Amino acid sequence: MKPMKFGFVLGTTLLLLLPLVLSQSLLNAAIQMLIAALFACAFNLLCGQGGMLSFGHAAYFGVGAFATLHAMKAMGGVGLLPTPLLPLAGAVAGLAFGMIAGWFATKRSGTYFAMITLALAELLHALAPHLKSLFGGESGVSAMRMPAWGMSFGNSTQLYYLTLIWVLASLGLLYLFTHTPVGRLTVGLRENSHRLRFLGYDVHRLSVLVFAVSAMFSGIAGGLQAVSNESANYVVFESHLSAVVVLNTYIGGVSVFLGPALGAALMTFFGYAVSDLSRSWLLYQGVLFVLVMMFLPTGLIGLISWWNNSKAQYGFVRLLPVAILWLFAVLLLTVSSVFLVELLQRMFSLDYRALASVNPVAPWPAITLFARPWFPGVATTWLPPILIFFTGCWAVRLARGRWQALLDNADVDASLSETAGDGVKS
Amino acid sequence: MNAPILSLRNLKKSFAETEIIRGVELNIFPGERHAIIGPNGAGKSTLFHLISGNLKPTSGEIIFNSLQIEGLTPQEINRRGLARSFQITNIFPKLSVFENLRLAVMQRHGLQYTFWRILSKVPLIGQETDQLLERVRLQARANTLAGELSYSEQRALEIAITLACDPLLILLDEPMAGMSHEETDYMVDLIRELTTDRTLIIVEHDMDVVFSLSDRISVLVYGQVLATGTPEQISNDAKVRKAYLGEKVGA
Repeated sequence: MKPMKFGFVLGTTLLLLLPLVLSQSLLNAAIQMLIAALFACAFNLLCGQGGMLSFGHAAYFGVGAFATLHAMKAMGGVGLLPTPLLPLAGAVAGLAFGMIAGWFATKRSGTYFAMITLALAELLHALAPHLKSLFGGESGVSAMRMPAWGMSFGNSTQLYYLTLIWVLASLGLLYLFTHTPVGRLTVGLRENSHRLRFLGYDVHRLSVLVFAVSAMFSGIAGGLQAVSNESANYVVFESHLSAVVVLNTYIGGVSVFLGPALGAALMTFFGYAVSDLSRSWLLYQGVLFVLVMMFLPTGLIGLISWWNNSKAQYGFVRLLPVAILWLFAVLLLTVSSVFLVELLQRMFSLDYRALASVNPVAPWPAITLFARPWFPGVATTWLPPILIFFTGCWAVRLARGRWQALLDNADVDASLSETAGDGVKS
Repeated sequence: MNAPILSLRNLKKSFAETEIIRGVELNIFPGERHAIIGPNGAGKSTLFHLISGNLKPTSGEIIFNSLQIEGLTPQEINRRGLARSFQITNIFPKLSVFENLRLAVMQRHGLQYTFWRILSKVPLIGQETDQLLERVRLQARANTLAGELSYSEQRALEIAITLACDPLLILLDEPMAGMSHEETDYMVDLIRELTTDRTLIIVEHDMDVVFSLSDRISVLVYGQVLATGTPEQISNDAKVRKAYLGEKVGA
């Protein structure tokens, strides 16, 4: 419990101090990260804890966003609620819509449940452009944040603190929820809903409740997005957002409460940082997801528990070289892959091919990458990434060997101490 | 004797054209331990599914505690005081043993929709869970994942989960299936101890268990009750010997 409390205090303090060190644009990215983290955790209540994989969670996020915008616009722009309380409108809308949608979706489980949630979200996505008064047609709805409680909410810092307070409070409530009777039953729902039925529980009502709570917190996330962007259109209902929250949650790790938040924050940050640098961001996102699912099924947060468990078992001194070797290997493989992907992406881009076809006889023109020109027709261009790649593979082999040796040694130690123990006994 | 706690009246169940339960008549009296035996495919498990609400009967009546319960959902039947275990272990494998039992204990305290209290801060639930753990002798395994228990421990947990809601009537579906001799003996003692002051219906293939545990026995053959009576009456019944027990008891 102690390190957890310490981590909590440290994390909160860091988040509170962030505006002192970050630029306004990075602070905006931080706001998006916080919103994504809340959305992922709300989604994980249903998916990771309740065992109900929803493919249409953008619907509840979007409904929350639109409800908040309408609340912001209400009464001739004065707003139904003071600005800091606006996400409440998102919460109410998410809860109400979640109850209705959840009532239908949770009639079925597994694949059928996923299909119903997907269909409901697609329905909303198709309907939204036609419902002008609700969703503002194709152009969407926009509104203005009004000053309230002596704050203007005109700069990113105030907006950041508003978002931070909402996200921390919501995450706190979500965490407490897992310790309530309903929260424990949610896990039972995932593990064996059939058995719950024979223990006297109304499984359908329970599922609707969990669904609605998840939708409510998704609605808050949507509301925060609306407060920060001051506008939204029907694109928020796109299946892309529903897919992103699934990916973020699994990349982070569904089995630990803050896993999804970690995944969402990291992926949103990378999205922000990388999307300006590279056009292949979606490819990297996909590759990362596949790799995490293949090699780290417990998500990135699983690395932390791996480190803690292994440290307890093998000791820090013996573990550190293996960990560094792994890190080194992953780094090399990443560098070489990124290099190759970027080079190929530029080679196959329309611009470059047009440029190359201007003079078909001349060698292919240079591509600028990492502030250096590279000639695709020359072997030395391809040599560095390939060399780095094979070095990376070699490092992986080395790391695996060292790890195996560590495991074997531990076995030997265990059997040695066992025989020693026997000797004493006899 | 008192009025029966459970009565089956002309109970029938067919799957498409096939009639599995063909007019079962059975009265179970409060406090008795009643075994249902019969050859494979006689419909013993189907009968349990009908009583516990897992399946709806095609026709006939099930009267439990003077109320008709046929066609009700499993949770409604459970809340009236009828709990069952399953032939294939049906627990929450990835939750701790303690958590398994706590989920079961919680129900009759009406906490199903409670999201404003922290469960560990409800002392009564924890106490009752601990007591139950002790009664099935699993207290040392409280923090183990249920899926990592040994087979017989899982069966004991299954029974504890069934008992947690303090039922009037308990249905145990082959609790000894797949157990060794020692484990079976242990389980018989456990069941006898746990079902004091309750009514028990048990489906079991092990005849030693059936004859040592039960006050009365019903023989189900081909979807009908062939005979009901005390263990002596059943083992001396000519019809039963011919249809089912025959070699097994004679040997």
